[in-house]
Amino acid sequence: MAVLTRARPAAQHRTASRPHRARGYWLFLLPGLVLFTVVVIVPFLMNVGYSFTRWPGVGDPEWIGLENYRRLLKDEVFWSSFRHNAALVIAMAVIPAILGLVLSALMFDLVARHFGGRTVTVLRAAYYLPQLLPIAVAGVVWGWMLHPQFGALNSVLDAVGLGSLGQDWLGDPDFALATVMAVMVWFQLGYPIVIFMAGLERVDPALHEAAAIDGATWLQRFRHITIPQLRPEIFVVLLTCTIAALKVFGPIYVLTRGGPGNATTVPSYFSFQNFFEKASVGYGSAVATTLAVIILVIAALFLRIQDRSS
Amino acid sequence: MNTRILPRHAVLVALATLALVMLLPFALVLLNAFKTPAEYSTNGPLALPEGISLDGLRAFWDRVDFGGKLLNSLLISTAVAVLAVVVSVCNAYALGIGRVRGRTWILAFFLIANTLPQEAMIYPWYTMAKEAGLYDSRLGVIIICAVLQCAFGTYLMSSVLGQFPREIIEAAHLDGAGRWRTLTRVILPMSRSTLTVMFVFFFIWTWNEFLIPLILLISEDNQTVPVALGRLQGERMMDATMSSASALLGILPALVFFVLFQRTLTRGVTVGAIK
Amino acid sequence: MKKLRVAAALAAAALAATACGGGSGDGAETLTIWHYEDPEGGIGRAWTEAINEFRRTHPDVTVRFEEKSFEQMQKTAPMVLNSDGAPDVMEYNKGNATTGLLAKQGLLTDLTGEVTRRGWDKLLAPSLQTTARYDAKGVMGGDKWYGVPNYAEYVMVYYNKDLFEKHGVKVPTTLEEFTAGLDTFTKAGVTPIAMAGNEYPAQHLFYEFVLNRAQRPWVDNYHRYTGKVDFNGPELGGAARTFADWVAKGYLAKDSAGIKAEAMGTAWMAGKYPIVISGTWWYERFTSEVKNFEWGTFLFPGNRLHPGSAGNHWVVPTRSDNKDLAQEFIALTMSKRIQNRIANEGAVAVAADPNAVTNPKYKELANTYQRLVAQDGLAFYPDWPVPGYYDTLLAGTQTLLNRSKSPQQFLGDISKPYQDNLADLGN
Repeated sequence: MAVLTRARPAAQHRTASRPHRARGYWLFLLPGLVLFTVVVIVPFLMNVGYSFTRWPGVGDPEWIGLENYRRLLKDEVFWSSFRHNAALVIAMAVIPAILGLVLSALMFDLVARHFGGRTVTVLRAAYYLPQLLPIAVAGVVWGWMLHPQFGALNSVLDAVGLGSLGQDWLGDPDFALATVMAVMVWFQLGYPIVIFMAGLERVDPALHEAAAIDGATWLQRFRHITIPQLRPEIFVVLLTCTIAALKVFGPIYVLTRGGPGNATTVPSYFSFQNFFEKASVGYGSAVATTLAVIILVIAALFLRIQDRSS
Repeated sequence: MNTRILPRHAVLVALATLALVMLLPFALVLLNAFKTPAEYSTNGPLALPEGISLDGLRAFWDRVDFGGKLLNSLLISTAVAVLAVVVSVCNAYALGIGRVRGRTWILAFFLIANTLPQEAMIYPWYTMAKEAGLYDSRLGVIIICAVLQCAFGTYLMSSVLGQFPREIIEAAHLDGAGRWRTLTRVILPMSRSTLTVMFVFFFIWTWNEFLIPLILLISEDNQTVPVALGRLQGERMMDATMSSASALLGILPALVFFVLFQRTLTRGVTVGAIK
Repeated sequence: MKKLRVAAALAAAALAATACGGGSGDGAETLTIWHYEDPEGGIGRAWTEAINEFRRTHPDVTVRFEEKSFEQMQKTAPMVLNSDGAPDVMEYNKGNATTGLLAKQGLLTDLTGEVTRRGWDKLLAPSLQTTARYDAKGVMGGDKWYGVPNYAEYVMVYYNKDLFEKHGVKVPTTLEEFTAGLDTFTKAGVTPIAMAGNEYPAQHLFYEFVLNRAQRPWVDNYHRYTGKVDFNGPELGGAARTFADWVAKGYLAKDSAGIKAEAMGTAWMAGKYPIVISGTWWYERFTSEVKNFEWGTFLFPGNRLHPGSAGNHWVVPTRSDNKDLAQEFIALTMSKRIQNRIANEGAVAVAADPNAVTNPKYKELANTYQRLVAQDGLAFYPDWPVPGYYDTLLAGTQTLLNRSKSPQQFLGDISKPYQDNLADLGN
């Protein structure tokens, strides 16, 4: 901590007094910016262009101006499906970040010290494994787990005498979203853990030792050392997971296909459907552009907060 | 002392239980990978296999020429991971250490890559790749994936470098080290664990990438593992036992890769301790 | 970085290789064939035989076969066919948004001349021709042939003979007999019908109920927009009420709104339900994998029309270099030999001779199909008229299955997209 507070004025001093030195860093940005312009920005602008047309994906696009956007504004299902994103941000960003933080710290402080690095390696691999399973296969396997009559989950509940808690997990509109959220936590948890554990290795062990000598409990050290030190990683995890949650599609599609009814539909489903099922690339592009702009605004706000706080 | 041992073990038990719960779905994959289709249909997915049948694995391997797909995936994932780490580090150096003007906006600009749904980019990529002669070429997929991945890499790396101790850099500059030297001799060795994390993530994300190779690599010779797995899902039918077998084959290389690099992750501790 | 250079070099080499392989620069002719049938499935095996036969009869032609996935073809066909990577002949999805769209854009070869010259129009029953022919706007049922289907499919009732016998239920011939049988099961505490609301089965059953009340003109109105369709009329309205009624009476498996077809099929194969109502695509699998009980099939009682159609078909891309060879290959797959092979593998061949089928189960399938075609009994699938309607019907039938909506609300939900689409077509 002390290191960082001292570092900050020095940095400001440097950029302020010697701007010519900062200019040299632009060279390092050059390859990245060129590649990005070609691979992301140009396609993005092309996509915006398509969004003003009626186009099935082949042949000549027909210019229709703002018609696609007018249609999208009136699409109630699209806009109402955004509230499912709020739930998914909790399931894919907030819960994994908090849980990941606690688990990483526990593994780093307790398990690694007392039970050896190998145990940590095994645990971390186990938590990360869900990220490796192809999403189509994950959908099938969760179907086996959650089947209301013959699924593993309800069978286990029956076996331990809690059969009354068994549910039609994916078919009951009251439970489907919560079930999807739980599966997403399972899917997402490994990602913050790996990032946080790497970040913890960056933290100066002397900080912990000093605090331990002062008689600080694990919880106190977690609050006053681990969390502040991991701040950049926490921001990264929260932002990237929030973006992922806002445009999530694959897992929802294989689990519930947006159902039952529209109980778990997400906005990106609309762009997928229009691109690949309805062959209306123009409208799909309008959906994608709108979605991208919304996510971008959220991301920009987020970055400003992060920049202010560091 | 006793009071401290107890929670310590309780924590380990809790962590291990959670790990087992996380692995439960994989147990099901394993269970069904070694069943015959008839066994699976009669007894259901939760029953124990009557014997170990390797038919599913073998049939899948031959059917999709899995060896060739493995090689393609390995080639593409490695190339993407290397390229994306290099570009991310360069970007992050300018943004995190160099603190160039308007860095928040530049970062937001890079993050556009993450915010766009992939399907929106597919038609433009197709058009551009065709123009550049990179349609149905692995190089095209490598470039696209690398740029997409390094949006995340740039963000992670510049957030981490933004908190890099300034006096270390000052000291390096005073010693007469130029920017390039400071980067390669001072900053990179100290950021080893973050670099490894990026490398592992990029490799695995590219390994699991589905839509981009599906669209841009159409010929059999260029296809990757996930696209080959997709063949088991028909219009209305899917082969569950073969899917399990193939999932196992598909996960294994990525898992081996992850475990291998875990050791590098822990080695980062010692490097960090030196400072 | 070294790896990267290697990667770039490899990719460049691969590019060069594909560039050469595409053309016929070395003089020898090449026929490139793509399809996405499981090579171990009935149709896949028959087509492998066709490919081998073609190789034998055309020793000077290099035949290159690649297995694709259904999803890849569905998503990328317009892009592939608009590039140099297009094959000479490929299996492709039937429908307005797929074959129809590409035909309209001039990416597929008009096969009309070939079809009449070779007499395929005589081999294919009228309702099978619908999905093979498209008009200038790319709407199916038109005047030009763009696809040639090899196989067909339809929905019927599969039943567990052991369970029927045990509960004294007879194979029904009318809907009343059918429901009486279902009542027998529910009274004995047995849920009679395996169901899946998270994929196609629920809407196929719903459509059976519609067809129970509908005649051919209604089907034409619904699918080809030749007349007005009343969503509150006896056909759709009655079907929605019957569906809700069957749910309420416990005929359909409990909690099946979130179930996938695969789980439905395996539950039936494990003997957990006496009945499953689904398509011929299960037939071969049931035959080879059901070991613990006897089973049979019957058409949905009281229906003259049934969900069903031609399967996906062969198309010849405009960019094909070898259209003649492609057509010769299609001709081979339409030959008696390959058609009989398809039937002998447990799939529904469009032009097989039932007497040439040896397996008694497969013979029964072939005979039922002949009967169905003779009475012009294929009435397509309910999701065809509107792009993306599959998902609308899926969501709708789910709300009926979990009883979160009334039949009236359900009809309102599925009516809107249909009417919107009609309005769109008007433009």
